[in-house]
Amino acid sequence: MEDNFAIRIENITKIYKGSAEPALRNISLAVPQNEIFGLLGPNGAGKTTTINILCGFLKFNSGEVYINNLSVEKDLNKIKRIVGLVPQDIALYNTLSAWENLRFIGNMYGLKGNKLKARINECLNMLGLEKSRNRQIKTYSGGMKRRINLIAGILHEPKILFLDEPTVGIDVQSRKVILDYLHELNKKGTTIIYTSHYLEEAENLCSSIAIIDNGEIITQGNPGEMIESEEEYTDLESIFIHLTGRSLRDN
Amino acid sequence: MLRFSTSVYKEILILIRDKAGIAILFIMPMVLVFVMTLIQDSTFRKLEETSLMVLFLDEDQDSLGMAVENGLMNSGFINIKKTYEGKLLDRETIIQLVTKGKYQIGIIIPASATGTIRNKAEYLIEQAFSDVDSITEEENLQFEPAKVILYFDPVIKYSFRKSVRITLEKFIYGIESKITFDIFTDEISRYIPSDNNLKFDPTGSIIIEERYIKDKYNEMVPNSVQHNIPAWTVFAMFFIIIPLTGNIIKERESGSILRLKLMPGSDLIVMSAKILVYLLVCFIQFVLMLLVGIVFLPMLGLPVLELGPHILALIIIAIATALSATGYGIMLGTIATTHEQAASFGSVSIIILAAIGGIWVPIFIMPDIMQKISIISPLNWGLEGFYSIFLRGGGIRDILPYAGLLVGFCILTMFLAFQYQRFHKKF
Ligand SMILES: Nc1ncnc2c1ncn2[C@@H]1O[C@H](COP(=O)(O)OP(=O)(O)OP(=O)(O)O)[C@@H](O)[C@H]1O
Ligand SMILES: [Mg+2]
Repeated sequence: MEDNFAIRIENITKIYKGSAEPALRNISLAVPQNEIFGLLGPNGAGKTTTINILCGFLKFNSGEVYINNLSVEKDLNKIKRIVGLVPQDIALYNTLSAWENLRFIGNMYGLKGNKLKARINECLNMLGLEKSRNRQIKTYSGGMKRRINLIAGILHEPKILFLDEPTVGIDVQSRKVILDYLHELNKKGTTIIYTSHYLEEAENLCSSIAIIDNGEIITQGNPGEMIESEEEYTDLESIFIHLTGRSLRDN
Repeated sequence: MLRFSTSVYKEILILIRDKAGIAILFIMPMVLVFVMTLIQDSTFRKLEETSLMVLFLDEDQDSLGMAVENGLMNSGFINIKKTYEGKLLDRETIIQLVTKGKYQIGIIIPASATGTIRNKAEYLIEQAFSDVDSITEEENLQFEPAKVILYFDPVIKYSFRKSVRITLEKFIYGIESKITFDIFTDEISRYIPSDNNLKFDPTGSIIIEERYIKDKYNEMVPNSVQHNIPAWTVFAMFFIIIPLTGNIIKERESGSILRLKLMPGSDLIVMSAKILVYLLVCFIQFVLMLLVGIVFLPMLGLPVLELGPHILALIIIAIATALSATGYGIMLGTIATTHEQAASFGSVSIIILAAIGGIWVPIFIMPDIMQKISIISPLNWGLEGFYSIFLRGGGIRDILPYAGLLVGFCILTMFLAFQYQRFHKKF
């Protein structure tokens, strides 16, 4: 057992109840500590399913999953203390303000008082939301919601952070703020596992990636090295199209 | 403790920002109890207290017509009307007005009415005093009864029709007896001359008095307030399931539940906070309903709600009812997949359970089979619990069986919700 893997997935197969096709087919992945790892794939590839399994929300049919060498099936409570999640959907209480949401989440992680206040303010400042902290979430724009959703996942300073499409549907400014912040977090020692179908974004951000399609990992490695590996690859997108084909997914 | 209190605070914030939810929780039940009590009060009260305009045509112009007219006028619950647009009523107009629904009741006393009574009485008395031999077959005439006609608008309820009819019959029998009596005394005085004539005494020798079973501590009288406040309080308490299931489903749909699940050991804390807050809501509803009964309804001239001497029993049954409503809501919220499902199934099931449980119609007038079924409704347990306090002056020992059932129901529903959650591992 090597110690320096943040996550290790071994031969996971997941078949949702009632569906004939497996959502994940015998996938294996290993992400070392301190990486920014991109799990890339078209719609319906199995990205969210993978994240949900990593967080212990979903049972799986076979295989093993470790986070910091802790088994997701056995040590979920220990794992919960070190991971953070930014879900694909905006998982916040719409009628509470940003401040109320974050205070609730902070309290639930045992943070309180001035320390919590300072932490919330710090995060709001970093992501440019300090002026809107008392507005209810339902009045936020899409980009603001993405940013507050991110803060909610990192308030307790997790060692390993899962982000499920954190930049979907937002403008260049919001995207840049979020990506810069992720870089910042990574520099401070947070391992980041993030999913996306924005390949350019992943090319710039990630130190390693895996491409998943139809529940299978079709390639993984360092994005730069992958592009150089074949003559015809000019960027991640060309690799992606080459490997996954042009047909529509999720039909 | 921090995590619990912050969860409670969060639930309270969510609740008070949900205006529609607040309306369902607090305003609707108060309006409901107000309206239902006022409506039922007028039917619970003696009929004399509501008045109704009745078209009246007296073709008789004799004792019966006069007696009925006076009787109706003095009854207090009926005002009679003998003209329409300045003209005296006739049969045709009465039929038209009632058919069109302008008036609900028309009464016609036919021309020969008093005469018929008198003729028949005279004939019978004559028969009684004459020699038996002189009665011949031909003389034993059949009297064609005079027809007093009643027209009713179909919207008039059967029970009301019946009471108008009974009132009329009372006057008719009264006048019939009086006439018979008068003729009889006349006849007698022909045989036994006397100075002091017998007087007809119209007041009955038998009257009816209503009494209620009371124990020596309890002087409560059943009235619409004592009946309605508990019924609609139980109903309102169960309606918390609408906002509660909405809350649970929203948390699940928004994905907030994912976040909660990723916090160590938070499921239970968040769920217990929800339970506590909704119990509190139920309790506030309960207090508001009592206030309606104690303060607002009396302002409208209704009787004051009497709580009776067993306040602790009252609190226990209120909490037990609140618990079972909350449990039911949590189960529905866990099992239902969409808001629509939860809201429609939730409200329909509550209405059915309320109907079965005797909230709308008292159990004792239900058919046998329904009476047996009614005991499966948790609303019935709550209602019976409250009734044993409000109507029978019961104490803790009397409500314990009901409270036990309610708490048992709460435990059962929460257990089912928990099992379902575990089995389906959905979020
Ligand atoms: N609860 C579920 N029940 C049945 N099938 C499901 C369920 N959730 C996902 N799936 C199926 O599993 C497959 C993988 O879905 P998943 O959500 O992991 O895709 P994804 O890569 O996150 O897609 P997207 O980019 O659209 O978010 C899809 O075919 C999807 O239809
Ligand atoms: Mg997804």
